Amino acid sequence: MNKKPVALLVLDILSLVFLVVATYLALFFAPMEANMGNVQKVFYFHVANAWVGMLGFIAAGVAGIVYLRSQDPKWDIVEVAAVEISLVFFLIAIVLGSIWAKPAWNTWWTWEPRLTTAAITEMIYLAYFMLRNGIEDPNRRARFSAVYTLVGSVSVPITFMAIRLFRTIHPVVIGTQSAQTQGGFNMTPDMKLAFFFSLFAFTVIFIDLFWHRIRLGILANKVEELKLKVME
Amino acid sequence: MVNITPETTNYMIAGYAVFFSMFILFIASLVVRWSNLKRDFHVFEDMEKEKKS
Repeated sequence: MNKKPVALLVLDILSLVFLVVATYLALFFAPMEANMGNVQKVFYFHVANAWVGMLGFIAAGVAGIVYLRSQDPKWDIVEVAAVEISLVFFLIAIVLGSIWAKPAWNTWWTWEPRLTTAAITEMIYLAYFMLRNGIEDPNRRARFSAVYTLVGSVSVPITFMAIRLFRTIHPVVIGTQSAQTQGGFNMTPDMKLAFFFSLFAFTVIFIDLFWHRIRLGILANKVEELKLKVME
Repeated sequence: MVNITPETTNYMIAGYAVFFSMFILFIASLVVRWSNLKRDFHVFEDMEKEKKS
């Protein structure tokens, strides 16, 4: 069994440092937004979590394509790792959005296009694990999963574009605000720093967790192989 | 016109508490699964060695 690489250890330390800095920038450095008050500070982590969630779903789709072309089981491990981590980050983004929505929209949840497509995306990838658990043959499971993530990844650009294509009350951070938007705001330079640093920090954290989860998948495969050998 | 900023600090605290709770829970799940797999790996490795000898 391989020892933990030094690069991964360095990435662990960087991730922790960046998380602390991102939290500091969001909570103490960025100024309070006048119309929403302190709840606006949730936005920095909300967007960053959504970003890495979508990044992972796309990465899973790419891993699915590579698996279908190469039939190499390691790409199945990469795919599962990407989906699992993204599922967690995307769920956090949805919950944080809901907490922000209560004071901004006076409701925890509303079936507007962005929230609806985000909920559908989360459920698509939740069902991915149900599908995997239902198939025993590893090759068949990997093949079905690859096709599933490939099709599922279509939901990501739809979710991203939902607030740009449809009439919605969800604010657009990058691009033009629609007239129906509630809770939108203009970012000051300090807010922009906190925002872009959060995006960067969460990207590093995602890579770090992704690497750990891939190592976990490889170890699980080795254990399974050993188990089969012993049982023979 | 006077613009009064609403008091929404509790929602901010709730948001960050939710984030850190879920994040730590996920990392803990990775650590637990890793240590369980490592233990299983050593057990099966020993069993294989015994089988060979």
